[in-house]
Amino acid sequence: MVNASWSDRYRLMVLMRRFEEACLTGVASKAVHGELHTAIGQEAIAVALSEHIRADDSLTSTHRSHLHAIAKGIPLRPLLAEIFEKKTGMCGGFGGHMHLFDRERRFSTTGIVGASLPVALGHAYASKLRGSDAVAFAVVGDGSVNSGGFHETMNMASVLGLGLVVIIENNEWAISVPFSAASATATLAERAVAYAVPGERVDGLDVQATSDAIGRAVAHARTDGPAIVEAMCYRFRGHYEGDLDLYRDQGEKSLRTETKDPLVLARAFLSDGILDPVLLDELEQSASAEIDELLASVLLDEQPDPASARDHVFTSGLAPFEGIPS
Amino acid sequence: MTITEIAPRNINISQAVAEGLRLEMEADEKVLVIGEDVATQGGVFGSTRGLLKAFGPQRVLDTPISEMAFTGMAVGLAMDGYRPVIEIMFVDFIGVCLEQVYNAIAKIPYMSGGRVDMPVVIKTAGGNIGSAAQHSQTLWGLFAHLPGLRVVAPSNPYDSKGMMAAAVRSNDPVVFIEHKGLLLKRASDFTFGASVPKEAYDVPLGSAAIVRPGSDLTIATLSGSVRHAVAAAEVAAGQGIDVEVIDLRSIVPLDWNTVCESVGRTRSLLVVDEDYLGFGLSGELITGVIERLGMGAMDYVGRHGNPGVPVPAALSLEQAIVPDAESILAAIMRAGAAR
Ligand SMILES: Cc1ncc(C[n+]2csc(CCOP(=O)(O)OP(=O)(O)O)c2C)c(N)n1
Repeated sequence: MVNASWSDRYRLMVLMRRFEEACLTGVASKAVHGELHTAIGQEAIAVALSEHIRADDSLTSTHRSHLHAIAKGIPLRPLLAEIFEKKTGMCGGFGGHMHLFDRERRFSTTGIVGASLPVALGHAYASKLRGSDAVAFAVVGDGSVNSGGFHETMNMASVLGLGLVVIIENNEWAISVPFSAASATATLAERAVAYAVPGERVDGLDVQATSDAIGRAVAHARTDGPAIVEAMCYRFRGHYEGDLDLYRDQGEKSLRTETKDPLVLARAFLSDGILDPVLLDELEQSASAEIDELLASVLLDEQPDPASARDHVFTSGLAPFEGIPS
Repeated sequence: MTITEIAPRNINISQAVAEGLRLEMEADEKVLVIGEDVATQGGVFGSTRGLLKAFGPQRVLDTPISEMAFTGMAVGLAMDGYRPVIEIMFVDFIGVCLEQVYNAIAKIPYMSGGRVDMPVVIKTAGGNIGSAAQHSQTLWGLFAHLPGLRVVAPSNPYDSKGMMAAAVRSNDPVVFIEHKGLLLKRASDFTFGASVPKEAYDVPLGSAAIVRPGSDLTIATLSGSVRHAVAAAEVAAGQGIDVEVIDLRSIVPLDWNTVCESVGRTRSLLVVDEDYLGFGLSGELITGVIERLGMGAMDYVGRHGNPGVPVPAALSLEQAIVPDAESILAAIMRAGAAR
């Protein structure tokens, strides 16, 4: 759906924001008892991605993955239910928000920074074995790129000519360490040269620009080999919910979140003669209503049965400590 | 087991493993072999020899020295319906890619609530051959400690082929640890499991084998130590101690029935383990037998293995650390004296 209409685009951006906000309520209500990372402020990149990713493409993501799951077409209900630790979750409550798996949709995430890239390489190789032009997408943070897995994956993908698109969401921070203190290169896109692949930096707050850049990378990957897109953005919340976020300048943070909100920017752009503000209101309301309804429904679901906690260690059913009290 | 009675071929263990792989690759086109020097070279120990010629460079892939990348690749391939066999040349190299093994391959079946299986074989060579601290470990205890991995280590040619076949067919991930000291040994070097049929067969994972029956003392061991234990048992027999030698074959799962049945008869258990003794197979085995048979089931319990020392370089030092027939015999005599 490369020619996504602006109304669909805008609604999806709002829906993604509302989805993350619904997750935040789970932390407050303790329905989510572990840590939670949201991608509030990074919606434009996920929407742009959704415009290029095909059902048969794969997507591997990270600890900050909810919006990528939405972009990949993971049904919202089992996604939210998994984040909310419910039996009805996409992994039955065994995975939780950082460990999401949907085999049919070729989607997975990992909580280990940098570890999703080699998995994407496997999907890319599978496409090659099948003679398919399906692409493997890996969306990572600017922190991932400094891990050895990034280097090994990029080199191998390039030498094997695999269809891999690496989208780096450069939100300028890896927990408390700023990008400027962690990267030897001024941009991450320029690292592409080392692997003899195209690399491009784009304003990740701008849906159109990001969609165009991802479109170029995907076109390259479907026929020629890997490509890198570095999408610039800013993390609006703390690294995780509960992070005091004292390492960032609060003045700058307020300025960035108030004046550089991708939703506000999109609305301002669209209101200027592209879409009727009344329609924009309606789109916002409809997205909000959808998420409100979803959240209310998911909250009614049950947690998994504690008696099932030892299930699934081996899919064969092997249970090495069966019968031994522990 | 009549199948083993066919006239023996004098192949080595590497050839037996390669033959097991070849037959599984013939039977299932989803089986892939990926690793360093596995294709053109056929593996540094020859255990993938002939596969490139038979199946071509897509299914038998030589990789750059990028264990993290190609181990993770197995995860994506498994999700896409393939059955990758990845070779970590020496088990000691697992440190650079353990992440993908224990956080991804081992845990994805569980984290996905049983929705995604990981039919991956991590094929690797362990054991001492005089290569010192960074190329001599066995490490099965390390893998066995981590939930979600089957861990096996064959001791003879027949099992090496059959267990590789079973590992490839397994929908659970399997860490398949060959012993470098055995890989180039020929069938004629073995008094057990020497006969390797040409056709496909499998040896079910998770069953131990009694290699030498005996009535006084149960030795539970595996991999390269089995033949040393058998040799030591023969000498001990001449000195009045009748030792039963069990080849565990599989560490996860352990075959508790075979071990407990034997210990129930001998009331004496000696675990011989080339791996580090601390927090590993020997402690697990002894505890598990007590959990199953009770505190009063044994008159003797002992273990003999690497006392938590990096494997040294000099032969004189290595012999002081790694179990061999002589040291196992000494352990048997200690057990005999203690009973
Ligand atoms: C291998 C590894 N090291 C450290 C961590 C802890 N950790 C989780 S997220 C994170 C920062 C990641 O930064 P980035 O990749 O830029 O993603 P962002 O959180 O900014 O989206 C760190 C250090 C981890 N999960 N995995």
